[in-house]
Amino acid sequence: MLKQDRRSFLKTSALIGAGITGLKSKDTKAQTRHVISEDRMGVLVDTTVCIGCRKCEWACKTAHDLPAGDIESYEDRSVYEKMRRPDDKALTVVNEYSNPDPTKLPTNVKVQCMHCDEPACLSACIVGAFSKDESGSVVWDTEKCIGCRYCMIACPFQIPAFEYDKALQPDIKKCDFCIERTTQGQLPACVEICPVEALTYGRRKDLIEVARKKIKNYPDRYIDSILGDTEVGGTSWMYLSGRDFQELDFPKLGEDPAPGVSESIQHGIFAYFVPPISLYALLGGVMWLNKKKEKSKEE
Amino acid sequence: MKKISIIILVFISASIYAQKELEQHPMAKSLECNYCHSCEIPTKDDPCLYTCPRTHMVTLQHPVEDAPEVIVLDELKEQSDLYAPVVFSHRLHAEMSNMAGGCQLCHHYNPPGVILGCQECHENSRSRTDLNKPDLKGAYHRQCIDCHREWTHEVECASCHLLNEKIVADEVQVKDYSEIKHPKIIEPTKIVYNTEFDDGDIVTFYHDEHVNLFNLDCSSCHSNSSCASCHDTTPLKLEPTLDQLHRVCSECHDTEDDCTNCHIKKERPRFNHELITGFDLNKYHKNIDCKSCHGKDGFKGLNDNCGTCHTDWSPGNFDHKITGLILSESHEGNDCEVCHENNNFKKPTCSMCHDEDVTYPDFMPGEEI
Ligand code: SF4
Ligand code: SF4
Repeated sequence: MLKQDRRSFLKTSALIGAGITGLKSKDTKAQTRHVISEDRMGVLVDTTVCIGCRKCEWACKTAHDLPAGDIESYEDRSVYEKMRRPDDKALTVVNEYSNPDPTKLPTNVKVQCMHCDEPACLSACIVGAFSKDESGSVVWDTEKCIGCRYCMIACPFQIPAFEYDKALQPDIKKCDFCIERTTQGQLPACVEICPVEALTYGRRKDLIEVARKKIKNYPDRYIDSILGDTEVGGTSWMYLSGRDFQELDFPKLGEDPAPGVSESIQHGIFAYFVPPISLYALLGGVMWLNKKKEKSKEE
Repeated sequence: MKKISIIILVFISASIYAQKELEQHPMAKSLECNYCHSCEIPTKDDPCLYTCPRTHMVTLQHPVEDAPEVIVLDELKEQSDLYAPVVFSHRLHAEMSNMAGGCQLCHHYNPPGVILGCQECHENSRSRTDLNKPDLKGAYHRQCIDCHREWTHEVECASCHLLNEKIVADEVQVKDYSEIKHPKIIEPTKIVYNTEFDDGDIVTFYHDEHVNLFNLDCSSCHSNSSCASCHDTTPLKLEPTLDQLHRVCSECHDTEDDCTNCHIKKERPRFNHELITGFDLNKYHKNIDCKSCHGKDGFKGLNDNCGTCHTDWSPGNFDHKITGLILSESHEGNDCEVCHENNNFKKPTCSMCHDEDVTYPDFMPGEEI
């Protein structure tokens, strides 16, 4: 999509800038689907149960047609020497944190999109490429995306990844909660394969009950906190842990939904610089128009 | 009238019998009946037990000989065909379980009497309504992997089951485990620890002494050991905390304040009652376990006065013969103190009745045997 060079981009911007700056963001932003169903599904990740076998990584790649390699190669634990983040080649990764008590086993943490109830990626996206489905999944539409990557900056968990090494039609990549599988009545691929059921799939509200019961019954095993219960307005994927979440590299987040486009971009890249929202709307608008132009050219 | 009294008698004895039965119920004291039984009056034929877990551990120990030798865990076939079923050497595992918590290590929340397999409580489906306990696949793996990875520090699926695609048809067979037994564990006798404690760096531990003196089972101390305690293939360079180091000892010893009880500057000889206390555990006391004299709850110090423990001894009930001396007729009826002044039972005195020239052992008060 971003085929034009920088000069022609700036030229177009200057030309149509004046017209668009007057528009409200609502007008430039396409309609988004944001459904919060009572029965939306979720996953409870119990980090005290996960053994770090990385079978979920393999299953995820296999389910999403990404090169997965040999399942047995995932038993190699040397990958844990460095911290990894999900990217366009692995929508979920597992990391390992050594236990402060050296006689105990390390803690493994699977990382993927949290499928927020109030997704910052969704509110950041100016063309409405993201939607929160009633199943709980936050999904992304390649047709609408203009490649602006606002979602990457907005996401409090740094999840959306961009296919930087793809010259043609690079996509945003992130966990889609296996929406194709779940609509067919299957479990998400990672949940299905997990040997120890460290990933429990169920209605989000049931999972919160399950998590509370576990914390109550095993106070020595768990800290009294469910990550994702209230953070950034609640998430579909939630975590239980035996140690502080910050020790496991989870960001410390408030209960308010993560700021959407206006705040996050200002805070994220242009801190102290106060460009009006309209500038972003303008830039986004230009890209959108360009993409449309390209598309019609292709047709 | 006679008939009625027979009926009453039968009724009374039946109810006494029933009461006795109830008292013998292993859990009756600690639990409410409806904790395990779903009906008002459970019977032997229909105990109406809830099959699923309660919040407490309820379980019985069974002799390992009763344990099934091999169990083929193939219930998960319907869920996934990635890996082949596990051939689980149940008895071999059970043999070692008493050091790690016994049968209930795996058969947790087991109602008394019957032994339930995992599948009785854990549903064989990941899409289910009761999410409070793991499904069958999760339950199996949690039980196995937690020990196996402590042992190898890896998660090697192939150590229990191969990928189905790697199985050549005739390779799937149940191995014969009937002859395989866990080798007998060789009990250590003396272990000397060199510690970093300045006031006493040496701790000498006589393992057999503890076992015999205190009448201990392996599981009295090793109740929480994992297989990895012996089998760890790559022991981590661990630095356990002071607490962890003392955990086993502190069950009985005061490891907080009384350090020099165990930590001294040199190797300690074996426990010797006479050397340490001055009281020789002669042939009569040698085989008595410590608790019979020193009390069952906590340690009770004693003096060497026989009467402290043997409060009921009198000429009428003490058979002097067991000391190796049958008292002569003239001595038989005397009170103990006549010869054993001040409770000295080692050496009698004769001066209460005899002249000074009559002394023990030149003159014996009876016949030696
Ligand atoms: S974790 Fe990030 S990418 Fe996923 S829904 Fe939340 S904001 Fe969007
Ligand atoms: S499959 Fe399950 S146990 Fe294995 S790494 Fe993933 S979440 Fe952890």
